[in-house]
Amino acid sequence: MSKKVITREEWEKKLNDVKIRKEDMNKLVMNFLVTEGYVDAAEKFRMESGTEPDIDLATITDRMAVKKAVQCGNVEDAIEKVNDLNPEILDTNPQLFFHLQQQRLIELIRNGKVEEALEFAQEELAPRGEENQSFLEELERTVALLAFEDVSNCPVGDLLDISQRLKTASEVNAAILTSQSHEKDPKLPSLLKMLLWAQNQLDEKAAYPRINDLATATLEDPAI
Amino acid sequence: MPTTTASAVCTTVGNNILLRLTSGERDVKLKALRELKNQIIGNRTKKLSFLKLGAVPAVAGILSDAVSAVDVADNDENDRIVKDIIVQSAAVLGSFACGFEAGVRAVLDAGADILIQRGCLVEEMPLLKSYMEVVDAGARSLKMIYQSKMAPKYDFLQEENMEFLLSLLNNESENVSGLGASIISHSCKTSLEQKLLFDAGVLKRLTSLLGGSLIQRDASLESIATIFKNNPEVVSQFVGPDTGRTLSCIIEIVKDRFARTRLLASLCLIVIRNASPCYLQDVGIKTKLINNLLELLDDPGRVGDEASFAFSSLIAEKEDMQKLAFEVNGVDKLYNHLQKGSLHPRRFEGILLALADMCSKLECCRSRCLSLQVLKLVVDALAHDSSDVRSAACMCLRSVSRSIKFIQNLSAGSFMNETIVIPLVRLLDDTSTAVQVAALGAISNIVVDFTTRRSTFIRLGGVKLLVQLSKSMDSTIRLNALRALRNLIFLAEDKCKEEIFMELTASLLASLICDPEPSVQEQALALVRNLVDGRINSVEYIFAEDGIILDAVGRQLRIASKAEIEIQGMYVLGNVATGKESHKEAVMDQLLLRAENKAQSCIIKFLQSNDSRLRTAAVWAVLNLTCSSSPGSSGRLVKLHDAGIVSHVKNMVNDPCLDVKLRVKTALEQFNSFDDSLASTSCLQFLTVRAVGELSHVVDPSSKIPCDSISNSCYVYVTDFCVIYSHVANSINSQCL
Repeated sequence: MSKKVITREEWEKKLNDVKIRKEDMNKLVMNFLVTEGYVDAAEKFRMESGTEPDIDLATITDRMAVKKAVQCGNVEDAIEKVNDLNPEILDTNPQLFFHLQQQRLIELIRNGKVEEALEFAQEELAPRGEENQSFLEELERTVALLAFEDVSNCPVGDLLDISQRLKTASEVNAAILTSQSHEKDPKLPSLLKMLLWAQNQLDEKAAYPRINDLATATLEDPAI
Repeated sequence: MPTTTASAVCTTVGNNILLRLTSGERDVKLKALRELKNQIIGNRTKKLSFLKLGAVPAVAGILSDAVSAVDVADNDENDRIVKDIIVQSAAVLGSFACGFEAGVRAVLDAGADILIQRGCLVEEMPLLKSYMEVVDAGARSLKMIYQSKMAPKYDFLQEENMEFLLSLLNNESENVSGLGASIISHSCKTSLEQKLLFDAGVLKRLTSLLGGSLIQRDASLESIATIFKNNPEVVSQFVGPDTGRTLSCIIEIVKDRFARTRLLASLCLIVIRNASPCYLQDVGIKTKLINNLLELLDDPGRVGDEASFAFSSLIAEKEDMQKLAFEVNGVDKLYNHLQKGSLHPRRFEGILLALADMCSKLECCRSRCLSLQVLKLVVDALAHDSSDVRSAACMCLRSVSRSIKFIQNLSAGSFMNETIVIPLVRLLDDTSTAVQVAALGAISNIVVDFTTRRSTFIRLGGVKLLVQLSKSMDSTIRLNALRALRNLIFLAEDKCKEEIFMELTASLLASLICDPEPSVQEQALALVRNLVDGRINSVEYIFAEDGIILDAVGRQLRIASKAEIEIQGMYVLGNVATGKESHKEAVMDQLLLRAENKAQSCIIKFLQSNDSRLRTAAVWAVLNLTCSSSPGSSGRLVKLHDAGIVSHVKNMVNDPCLDVKLRVKTALEQFNSFDDSLASTSCLQFLTVRAVGELSHVVDPSSKIPCDSISNSCYVYVTDFCVIYSHVANSINSQCL
């Protein structure tokens, strides 16, 4: 099957014919900054571009404080902040609450506070497992950390990674956004996914200058 | 790990917090409140232990004091602290009420709902600046309370309550308008309340909320559905320039990105559709709703669980919807979800009920289910832990067993016979009444067996169980047990009938005929009708124990007022009248016996009934009493004549109902024949004078039972009676000539 070949010149001409509004792009950028929680950047961007954010920037500050607290391992602090922001969130999100408790336990173990960790596991986490069977497996994995001398090299050692903190932080962030009736994901990634998908579809029919590196978005000539 | 240590720690911490709550210093109190709040949010165990320590009344007390202190607050600092105390205590109380029954009860007992309403949501907040925090905290907490089943009933009839509600709805804050919507969704139950709310114009505000945030949209959809549910009057008033807008708005929302919103929008439309036949009837919207709900089943969470229930409410009792759903492979889709295994009980129940609804009227759906081997999964569900699932499985079986394919397979003695009957019989003994009733429904269909072999069921002691259930205190169980027995006895072999009768006994039957519940009486009479149908010696049953059954039948006929009872009773008499001379004379006695204060026999009332079925049954009885081949018929004819019955029959020669007309024709010919000597064909007597027993809820009238799968002429009884009858009528005519 012979594919149609489109030269760079033709392609660039076609691209130039497509009109995109500046306001739309600004909105996308603002949406990204706001959802990801870059308050200062959002504020500056608003001043410089005149684009209005779709949520109150003050609420972003609160949300970012929570996210940061989790990322630094101050889970108790994060919980207090979430409850100040909206007491319903943790009361109606058993899975999130469990993960926060789990993170607390992980931090206690990381800091070598074994006694406290044991007490915490029994008093706080065990009841969660009783209330909800689906948490039992994760609970077991977490408690297993206590069984190993060399925690960083054990089978469940990945729980101690920073990535685990980031995962929990992301979960909290999403829950807060949802409670504020905001989309928890920015639009930008979806657009990029769409781009990649469209290119894959087009690949079957034509050879054309492709964007292979999303970061640079440079057009690479078609292989002939 | 010793458990005592943990709870001891908890109590120490708990007691410490509670102690600090009683402190005179506001700062200390505030800190303790925050700590308490952070301890209990998300933590059911902690809520319970703090509950036991008496936290709720303590906090309610603090709230009450703080609210009173509002007036006296004299500087900014005190303002702030008092406001904070109100916010924190409201949050604590709201958390106790969140999804935790004991907590809600404690909060209500402490009068906290009224406190919060008065303290946080009333317009005047004289000295508090930035009081939105207080309002929001109060609104959130009240919403938690109103979401519980135990929420106090909101009295919409009180004018000031209605005003308060409207003020809530019109408030800009999402939490406050959400509270208003929540109150409507959870408290509005009666049609009067629905009308009040509609007349107060809440719909306008709710419609505007549809365009608001996600939370406002969802809350508004639920409220709109609540106002319209089962209320055709309110829906019919829903006309005007606004209607189209609201409806199309909701229709748009059916395509929303959030699954829960899609579900709520669909439910809203279904409610409107079901309440009024004028709206949302075009094929486009019907298909959209069906497809939407089938798609929502894919959602792994609660939305997916509830989607099947919404689907059921959309298609139940509506053949056109079931057909549409079938055309978009609804049965297959439901089956695919069923196959997934380890389903949450609620989801399992929902899908089974959806299948039951799909198969309730259409043979194509039932047939598809059978080809897909749905039955295997359904039969497994009969043994599920959840009673709701067991019940739903029975209902599914009941629908599917209406299929001819099913009956054929059962008769052919395939494995389905035992694997289905055994678990069903076990369910007759279930701890849940609802399951028993559902099982009886399924059994009623399964015991219909045209090859006269109900062996498995009887062998498993099914009869004993059914008879036991027919003596239940619960009238629904009595009713359904009788229905099953009625079907079991339909066209049963002599031996089978005898076994059943021995178990039932004449005295039980007689008492059931006189049961306090009319629907039970009807089934009992129908059972007796099937009992005495068949060979001549079957009629003897009704004379057992000095004829108490016959007496009971006669008595009920004289006092009954419900057509269904009268019909069954007349057919009983009609069937008995096909017996020997003594049988016929006994029927005459019953008919000619008059009720008190009645000038004439009850049969005259029946002959004049508006219900053609009753007229038919009555004429049958007359026919059988005066059939030409019986020696005593002429004597009986005289008595009937003297009672005025014959002239009534003669007046019915042009009855609008064909069934009645044909029988009246025969009757008249019989009356006239007493002068001729007509060779009575035994065939004539056999075929024409036998009024058939009846099946209940079994066969789909649209499906035909092929003759060859059934033995003897039993089949003939079930299908179109008039067709056979007309053949026989012709043969009479020819002989007359």
